[in-house]
Amino acid sequence: MSLRSTLSRLRYRYFPDHILGEILSKTWIDNAIPVAILVLVLAGLGLWDGDLVSLRSLTGMAPQYAETLLVTLGMVFVLLAGGIDLSVGSVFALSNFIVLALFNMLGLPIGVAIAAAILAGGLVGAVNGVLIGYLKLRAFLTTLVTMIIVKSVVDLLLLSFAVRIATPVTTSTFWDFLSFDTVFGIPPSILFAIVCAVVGHIMLTRLRLGWRILAVGGSRRSAYNAGLPVRRTIALTYVMSGMLAAAAGVLYAARLNAAGSDTGVGLEIVAVTAAVVGGNSLGGGRGSVTKAVLGAIIVLVVTNSVVRLGLPAGGNSLALGVILLLAVVIDVKWVKNRGKLLSSVYVSPAWMQLPACPPTAEGSGSPYALNDKLADVQLIGLGEIDGPEDPILDEAGNLYAGTRHGDIIRFHAPDFTTHEVFVHIGGHPLGLTFDRQGNLLACVAGMGVYRITPEREILRLTDQTNRSWLSVIDDSRMRLADDLDVAPDGRIFFSEATIRFDMSDWMVDALEARGNGRIICHDPATGRTRTILPHLRFPNGIAMCRDGQSFLFAETWGCSISRYWFDGPRAGQVEVVVADLPGYPDNINRASDGGYWVALVGMRTPAFDLMLTNPALRKRMVERVAPDEWLFPNMNYGCVIRIDETGRVTDCLWDRTGRNHPMITSMREHRGWLYLGGVSNNRIGRYRIPGADPDWTAAASYRGEAA
Amino acid sequence: MMATRTRSPLSQEMIVAAIAALLFMAFFLTQPVFRTTDNLLSLLQNVSILGILGLGMALSIIGRGIDLSIVTVMAMSSAWVLQLANSGLPLGLALLAGLLLSIAVGLVNGALIAFLEVPAIFATLAVATLNYGVVRTALLDDNLVYLKAEVPGWFHAIGGGALFGIPNPVLLFALVCLLLHLFLRYDIAGRFLYAMGENPAAARITGIANRPLTLLQYAICSVIGFGAGMILASTIGSVETRIARSTMVYDVILVAVIGGIGLSGGKGGVRNVIIGTALIGVLLNGMTILNTPYTVQNIIKSVILMLAIVADSILNPRDEQTSQQGDI
Amino acid sequence: MRKLLTTVLAGFLTAAPALAEKPDDGLVFESAAALKGKTVAYLPIAMGFDLTEAWVTGLKKDAETWGYELTIRDPNWSVDAGAQAFAQLIQEQPDVIVVHPPEIQAYARLIQQAERAGIAVVVVSLKASTNADYFIGPDWYDMAVAQTKSVIEMCGKSKGGSGKIAVMQGVLTNPTSQYGIQAIEATVAESGGDIEIVSNQAADWDASKAHAIATTVLQANPDLCGYVGMWDNMDVGIAAAIREAGKQDTVKLVSSGGGNRDSACANIENGNFATYISYDAAAQARDLMMVVRSVLQNPPEEPGAHPVALYTPLRSIDKATMHSGSCWSLDTLQAYGP
Repeated sequence: MSLRSTLSRLRYRYFPDHILGEILSKTWIDNAIPVAILVLVLAGLGLWDGDLVSLRSLTGMAPQYAETLLVTLGMVFVLLAGGIDLSVGSVFALSNFIVLALFNMLGLPIGVAIAAAILAGGLVGAVNGVLIGYLKLRAFLTTLVTMIIVKSVVDLLLLSFAVRIATPVTTSTFWDFLSFDTVFGIPPSILFAIVCAVVGHIMLTRLRLGWRILAVGGSRRSAYNAGLPVRRTIALTYVMSGMLAAAAGVLYAARLNAAGSDTGVGLEIVAVTAAVVGGNSLGGGRGSVTKAVLGAIIVLVVTNSVVRLGLPAGGNSLALGVILLLAVVIDVKWVKNRGKLLSSVYVSPAWMQLPACPPTAEGSGSPYALNDKLADVQLIGLGEIDGPEDPILDEAGNLYAGTRHGDIIRFHAPDFTTHEVFVHIGGHPLGLTFDRQGNLLACVAGMGVYRITPEREILRLTDQTNRSWLSVIDDSRMRLADDLDVAPDGRIFFSEATIRFDMSDWMVDALEARGNGRIICHDPATGRTRTILPHLRFPNGIAMCRDGQSFLFAETWGCSISRYWFDGPRAGQVEVVVADLPGYPDNINRASDGGYWVALVGMRTPAFDLMLTNPALRKRMVERVAPDEWLFPNMNYGCVIRIDETGRVTDCLWDRTGRNHPMITSMREHRGWLYLGGVSNNRIGRYRIPGADPDWTAAASYRGEAA
Repeated sequence: MMATRTRSPLSQEMIVAAIAALLFMAFFLTQPVFRTTDNLLSLLQNVSILGILGLGMALSIIGRGIDLSIVTVMAMSSAWVLQLANSGLPLGLALLAGLLLSIAVGLVNGALIAFLEVPAIFATLAVATLNYGVVRTALLDDNLVYLKAEVPGWFHAIGGGALFGIPNPVLLFALVCLLLHLFLRYDIAGRFLYAMGENPAAARITGIANRPLTLLQYAICSVIGFGAGMILASTIGSVETRIARSTMVYDVILVAVIGGIGLSGGKGGVRNVIIGTALIGVLLNGMTILNTPYTVQNIIKSVILMLAIVADSILNPRDEQTSQQGDI
Repeated sequence: MRKLLTTVLAGFLTAAPALAEKPDDGLVFESAAALKGKTVAYLPIAMGFDLTEAWVTGLKKDAETWGYELTIRDPNWSVDAGAQAFAQLIQEQPDVIVVHPPEIQAYARLIQQAERAGIAVVVVSLKASTNADYFIGPDWYDMAVAQTKSVIEMCGKSKGGSGKIAVMQGVLTNPTSQYGIQAIEATVAESGGDIEIVSNQAADWDASKAHAIATTVLQANPDLCGYVGMWDNMDVGIAAAIREAGKQDTVKLVSSGGGNRDSACANIENGNFATYISYDAAAQARDLMMVVRSVLQNPPEEPGAHPVALYTPLRSIDKATMHSGSCWSLDTLQAYGP
């Protein structure tokens, strides 16, 4: 190995290129923009006048921040559901007035006054909600009108009571606490706002209502068609917004003990600005409480700082306008280009060198030599099935296969001319197997491992495993469970081909050639699921060895087959069985002669083999060339081989014309026939194996009754 | 074209027109003062500024946008014109400067929306703040700018004069109505504006140059705002720039939208603005005659507006399957 | 840093004369020392209009001369921003806070807090409901009484007028309106039917709103005789409406304000205002300058305990009484001080 390739290998082994893309694909990365803006703003103001961002200055802002945050939170809930609430400023003023009027003027207990104020806010919100949610009025127009109505009512009341409401007739220790005291130096108002923010965060990320809000805002029509209570959800967001604005009004009353015609004016603009600067989108679906918190801080720091800087009249507006515009432009561009950026940095190739490729030429004497044994296979379900990745037969001889539509189709024995939908699972079933009880087990892309009883009951066995500590991607969820087999004690071993790509992009994983996949063990007895072999290069087929202590597994991009012992004296060991396949192995299943069938889904090409040693080239290709033009491994032409347990090739089946089965992902032997499946085929093939035991079934083999 | 848009025989436009007519009749029959020609003219005069601004707003909404900076443009560019005139610049040049300033603001709006793809509501809000800030800091000495310079009589006549007994602001409102109507109905750019408002993506695929069109749209809005500002300034003889920070822009939106211009764009025209303006005008005038306090006027006005919107929503309910996503 | 420099520089400038052989009259050095290095904060409704710019001229001059630091916070008409700025100022502990409250109640609690924190507070022009150490400004009740009497003089039935007047208020929670409207109503009642109010509306200090309201009021009341406005900057809208209606001779507009030449005397000359009650903001600027000097030399031991009122003498201006000194101009005020 040359020095250069050694360096390249070390560089790509130890430098975590893939981290950047994985970080960018996180949803919380959206917060990076508001955080960056906040840091810039604080740094800029700090350079201008250090005192602006001093702790004293920032804590002095806390009571006002509490109010702004509460109103912004309400606005974010409404925005998330696809609306807008312009009435928050007026509700704020109304609530402020009610508290002061009930407590100061009428001398009612402060608890009653606060409850009445928040109730009033909720009522205005409910009016908005009914009009917008149930009567389907335009949010902008409706809340604009309620804003004016409520504001006018407050003005009217102020006209008569402005002076009287400000002179308290009673006192309350709680009110004084809210107005003047601190808890560990923190005003109670900010504590209350923080509690609201935490509750809001939990609601949006963990509770049903929050998910519904996001669903309605993301796509109102889909939410409606999915049967969500769209109207009620929308109405509730306005009630929440009204109550939060009212709570902010109560805090304002505690802070200033005054009501004026200016109270709450322009608050709707502040709240919308804070929400949008924080990265919540107008129009719904995208946003979070964290963004509201950040946006509110940015807006408040800027507005307060420009007042403190004593800029000439209008300078406030100037500074505010520039910063807000900048923030929004950056945010808009970020949202638009994040996908592009992600797609250009996500794929991060690693270094790999495959052993020399054995010859496949006809007459070369190679065990892989080309032939035409598959020339006249019988076709089953031609044109009626889409993507039978791994066909399987039960003891009665019925043939099962998954389809891209999320079904498992059953072809009836003996001639397979009729078929039915056995079950609908919802994801593309890939590897299939029967357990000892006759249940069908399936690896479903994007969903996990499922068990289907003969009575067609579907049960999810597992869809998550332990999270590895250093993985940026949440690898506890299963993305691409691929093939499985069952140990004699009932434990299920299955492969997850890659944790970095979804089913639709499975081939892109080949460009990385990194060990993105893993083998996972699920024990139905305990319900535990644990990753046992991480960092495999697209682990695919799994077949139990006949010793009951180990299994063979294929690594597709590694072009190799290995054996792993999970029990017995060699437990935990891995041994390479075949290191230099001429193609990319897919599923492995038992053969009647005591060996194993292996499907080669595609054949290696010298160009791609060479490219694997040059990650930089692949990186450039991904960045600069359209995906359709990328150089992928050849997946158009493959074959089926049979090996014995030592890895010696004992048979090889080709379809030279490529007419019926150029690409094969799996094969099953059953009573002397070999059934051929392909993940992008529209048929299942059936090949008579010369000299095979006509009574051999896999079930018998697993019971130990046959080879 | 109208037929495909109207789902019920009673559109919002007709409901509002009916309410306006009803109120008009009620005031006409019960209030002798209301009946006088003078009062009817003053009714028109009082809402003509609002109406002109409403036309600008309508233009921006038809192109699927909104212009929250129109009031700021009105105040700031007209204040600058007065300040320039006071400092000795010939009035013509001062007016030209104001016009250029307003066009520049409109182009900034358009560029932010068209090229930087900032949502219109936010872009124009930020530009309004910015416009106020820049002009107030860099160009004006005072919040309140009086017209102190000796100016030709025709300038005062813009807002203060009358022709055939009709106050000039009313005539100018009619003129802007006519020009905008011709633009929207017969000019290619006007027709394209509807296409862009109806479905921007489709318009773009069809080959309509959305971006230049957006620039044009907001530039015209700003010019209309500037015109309204000059009428106001020549009427009162001063400009109070604080109006830029007031909630007047909401009144302008209401005038445009209440008459039936859909906020989702592509719908409505000059007629809708006239109807909306008429409703507001009759209401305000009638209530002022009844000596209704300003705050109560606001309540009554808003409640009637709310009723109109609710009636429209009941008669023309939104369909969950066809309503547009992100349409607020 | 720049502020520090200017303070130091100003310190040298003021110290310079002391190095010369200036005799000590027993107070001159002591008082100068009392002012030096102090901080004064000025928090108006907004900067950039005649009143607030006039008031600060005296403070600016003194800050330079005596070496105290003057910080100006401009909340730009926002009550909330103003309250926040006030709260910040309390944290910063200046020696005096000069405040111009936008509404009767808005700063009431903050003024108390400042006093509790040991900061002297001077309230300018608009009296807050809480008392500060000093109040400098007009008695709004007397002011409105003077305006109403003036309009009765011109429009009372006994004087041959129609007896019908209209009132245009500003912001309703402002002392101008709160006390002013009571004064107007009381004075009208006192007149015993000699005069009646036919319209009473508020235009939120906005000239264009005032214009719209006045236009209709004039139409609704063809025999209107007088109009009482509450601030010159807003009342120009009423004047325009009167002019458009061609009623400059029949409708008398009584306005009030700080006596800035552009707003006051110019409008009397051109007949917009019939009478103008001025509280002479230039004089108030001098009052403010002196009060701040006084407070800095003799800080109240218990701020807010002994409030002092300096009600500004009112001056009625009309065409007959107007003279060259009736009004002031901001330019000269800024150039030469109050």
